Order: sequence, then C-alpha cells, then structure tokens
Amino acid sequence: MATDADFPCALTLRFPFPDARLSNIALKAIRVDKELSPLVHRELSTVAPDDKTSTEESVLLVEYKAATNRMLRVAVNSFMDSLSLVLEVMEEMDVDVLEPPSAS
Amino acid sequence: MSTGTVGRKSTSRYFPPSFLKYFKRKLKWSLKKEAQSSAVTPPSAPVPPLSTGSSLTKIEVKNKHNNSFTTTTPRTHFDTADSPKMTSSNPSQKKRRIALGCEGSANKLGIGIISHDITTGEATVLSNIRDTFVSPPGTGFLPKDTAAHHRAFFVRVAKTALSTAGIPISEIDCICYTKGPGMGAPLTSVAIGARTLSLLWNKPLVGVNHCVGHIEMGRTITGADNPVVLYVSGGNTQVIAYAEQRYRIFGEALDIAVGNCLDRFARTLEISNDPAPGYNIEQLAKQGGRILLDLPYAVKGMDCSFSGILTRADELALMMKQGKKGPDGEPFTPADLCFSLQETIFAMLVEITERAMAHVGSNQVLIVGGVGCNERLQEMMGAMAAERGGSVYATDERFCIDNGIMIAHAGLLAYETGFETPLEESTCTQRFRTDEVFVKWRD
Repeated sequence: MATDADFPCALTLRFPFPDARLSNIALKAIRVDKELSPLVHRELSTVAPDDKTSTEESVLLVEYKAATNRMLRVAVNSFMDSLSLVLEVMEEMDVDVLEPPSAS
Repeated sequence: MSTGTVGRKSTSRYFPPSFLKYFKRKLKWSLKKEAQSSAVTPPSAPVPPLSTGSSLTKIEVKNKHNNSFTTTTPRTHFDTADSPKMTSSNPSQKKRRIALGCEGSANKLGIGIISHDITTGEATVLSNIRDTFVSPPGTGFLPKDTAAHHRAFFVRVAKTALSTAGIPISEIDCICYTKGPGMGAPLTSVAIGARTLSLLWNKPLVGVNHCVGHIEMGRTITGADNPVVLYVSGGNTQVIAYAEQRYRIFGEALDIAVGNCLDRFARTLEISNDPAPGYNIEQLAKQGGRILLDLPYAVKGMDCSFSGILTRADELALMMKQGKKGPDGEPFTPADLCFSLQETIFAMLVEITERAMAHVGSNQVLIVGGVGCNERLQEMMGAMAAERGGSVYATDERFCIDNGIMIAHAGLLAYETGFETPLEESTCTQRFRTDEVFVKWRD
C-alpha cells in the first residue's frame, strides 16, 4: 500500500457485519463526525467480504492515516469506542430484538 | 404600554420595538412559588397509554407488513383506509405524536419519551430516565470519562425508557438529541447512539438546542405564559426573553456559569459530588448564616461575572484551612463560606433578572436549569417578584436538572412545524447560542 509522505502512520481495519444493512448503518452513523485533528485522515466504506462468501457489502472498511503513531492510536481508539456503542445499540435495540416476531 | 413598570427604556438598542407588544398582556398578580410540577402534565412515573389493549397493539402492528395499524383495540384512532407508513407521522391517522429524546451534554445522561396530543397539543411524559456520572469529591468530570460513561449507559437507559413508556417502536415519530451547547465528547457519544437508533428504526432525527429544551419544558410544566427566563446551570447562565420567534439573551455570565462557580468551589472544599455538588453546598449553607463574608459583587449592567468571586472564595477557603479568623474575630466554617457564596451570587442573579423584567415589563420569572433546584434562589427570586407584584415559576429536580424529556419535548415541537435534521447534518457543536434557534412553534 502506498504511504502518504505527510501521513506515514497508517492502519486499515475490517469489521464483518451480519449483513449489508447493518454495516451501512454503522458507516452512516459514524462518518457524520469529522476527525478533530487535521493531522489524521480517515476513510470509511463498505465492501464485500474478502473470502467471497457473499457479494453484499457487509464489511465495514476503515482506513486511517496519521502524521504520528500517537495520533493514529488516539484516533483509532476513539473510533473503536464509537463503534462499540453502535454495535451495542444494534445488538440490543434493533427492531427485531425489541419486538421479536412472535413464533407462530 | 402597561403602566407602573420601573425603568422602561427603549429596547431598540437590542431588539425590534414590536418586542414590547408581547409584554402588554395581563399577567397573574398573585405570588405563586411552584416547586412542584403543575397539573399541566402528570408526573414522570410510567403512564401506560392503554390498559389492556397495548400488548395486542404491538403484536398486530409488527405482523402487518403493509403497515396498517390495528383496528381491534379499544384505542382505535387509526384508520387503515390510507395505509399510513409505520414510521413517518401521518396526522390524519394518529391521535398523538411521540418523540424519544437523548440528552448528554454534561455529566447527566437522560433519555425520555414524550407524547403530544394532536388535537389539544397537551404533552404527556411517558418516561424520563436519567443516569448521572458522579466524580469523586475534590474532582470534576472530564470530557473523556463522561463520554465513556454515556456510551456505557446509553443502551441501558434507552431500554428502560422504552419499557417504562410501554409503547411500540412504530409509534415513535422522531428521535431527538442534544445538538449543543455542551461538552464535545459526551455530546457526540450520545449523538452516535441517537443516529444508530434513527437508522435502525428508520425514524427522522431532530437536533435540539439544550437551552431551548430547558425553556420549553419549564414553560409546559409550570404553565407560565410569557415569563422572563433565568436559565442557570453548570454550563450556562442566561437571562432570556421571547420575542419574534427567537429566545433572545438579555444578560448572561461573562466568564463562567454560576453552577460552574459553585461546582468548582465544592471541589475546593472537597464536598461530595453525589447527587450534585450544588445540592450539597445548599445543604451546608443552611447551617451557615451566622456571618456574611465579604465577596466581590460582580454585576456588569445586564451581565454578571463569577470567576472573580470564585477566586476570592477559594482564597477564603485557604485562609479557613490555615486557621485564620474571620472579620468578627471568630474562625469561620465551610458552612459560613457556602452561605456567603450563595447569598452573593444569588443576589446578583436576582438583580440581573429584575433588570430584564423591568426592561420588558414582564412580571413572571421562570427559573430553569440545574441551579434552579436551589430553594434559596427560588426564595430570593420570589421575594423580588412579590415586590413587583409578580410570580416565580420553577420545576422540581426531575425537570430542572438535565434530562432527556426536555429534549424530546422541544424536539417534537420543532418536528411538528416540519423541522428535521438530515443525518449528514446531525453533528454536535459546543457553541450553540439560544437565539440561533428559529422558534417556529410560537407566534
């Protein structure tokens, strides 16, 4: 992967979701907030899983690059905190979790 | 112009002259000190909308994929004729609109659910759940820890709010969240939770100004018609009056908020932060009253300043710890300090409020915000208002202290005028002036 001279510290993360709907929701919920520091760049997108098990874009792809390792670490940690909140809300408060379809 | 008002001067310096017509109305002249919420809305204990029908409604609604509402429950106000969408509001079909509000601008995480009756506009609190992040004595709450607390408790509080309200997701019209002002990281953490809910449930988002939330809740709970609002909390100190679709700021704290002054002084004295430092200062102050220590009185016209008072109070606290004697030759106690501080700063607040009341010719004062719970402040404001033949309105700690229901209420009022916050714009901002909000729901 070509590294940017201004932002030498880079990290790519992939988060598999059960389906494209959820990965898309995570993408939309988190990308609204801009990175606070101009020395950190982030790109979010959804892609299909690497192992080609399906074509739907159920993987959240996160690409970080920063000027220093410390900034990278801080930014990624903060992203993980936000993502874990999103995951918890999805896990416990999705429509079918709160109002499960009655077993008929 | 109404007669008998003191010191009316031209307001064209700040506001359009038509501002004055709003204060010519006849006002209540009895002194009414309301520490409890009035009969306008029932208390925030769970109010299930139905008795027996609710469970049936839930099952019916989620099984019908064409989104028609149930017709078999006793509460049938929904016509299935037009197949209304389950998620967006369709006024001709529904009896009430419901909003879920999320608040987290400071150390209180609050989530509440409110309903507005479509015909009468009457507001009903369906649930109001709050969890406060309390830091150890001698410390304040930092943004990072507070945000971590909000993230950790968001789901818990939200689920409790939902189950207390006892309504199905389909009945919620919008998700409201605090856009600002407040602390950046806590605000954003709650906004992320709200966005996720809005995307999962497919509901529109409404960003709400925290101050406007306090004002609207105070107005509805107390039934105050058009009062001068004193909004006092740990983060904000403003004197506000409504004119021409904006809440205009008449006077404010120039440096730190009055609640911030109290909280930081509580840290100096290492008073417990549970349930709130200001509450503990109030209790301690009740034991004072023997002497009034000399603190600077910093009113600057319509504004006031608290950082100088805090510095002096901190100096006196240090003197006290070193065993120095007070002005009357006796050692003074933390209770004396708390008493003196409260008397000074509350007198300042009463002065700037009175100045605003004279300015606009209003006789009603509405106190909102966390510091508004303080009974001594309510008492002093009441004495001032009585002298002017007016009244003071205040709410109890359920609504004074930051809560989610006020965000739901103000958000639903905005939503009902057609306001929505698109997802891309659902950010948070630490600086969000009260008069930036276009108050379309009032005339």
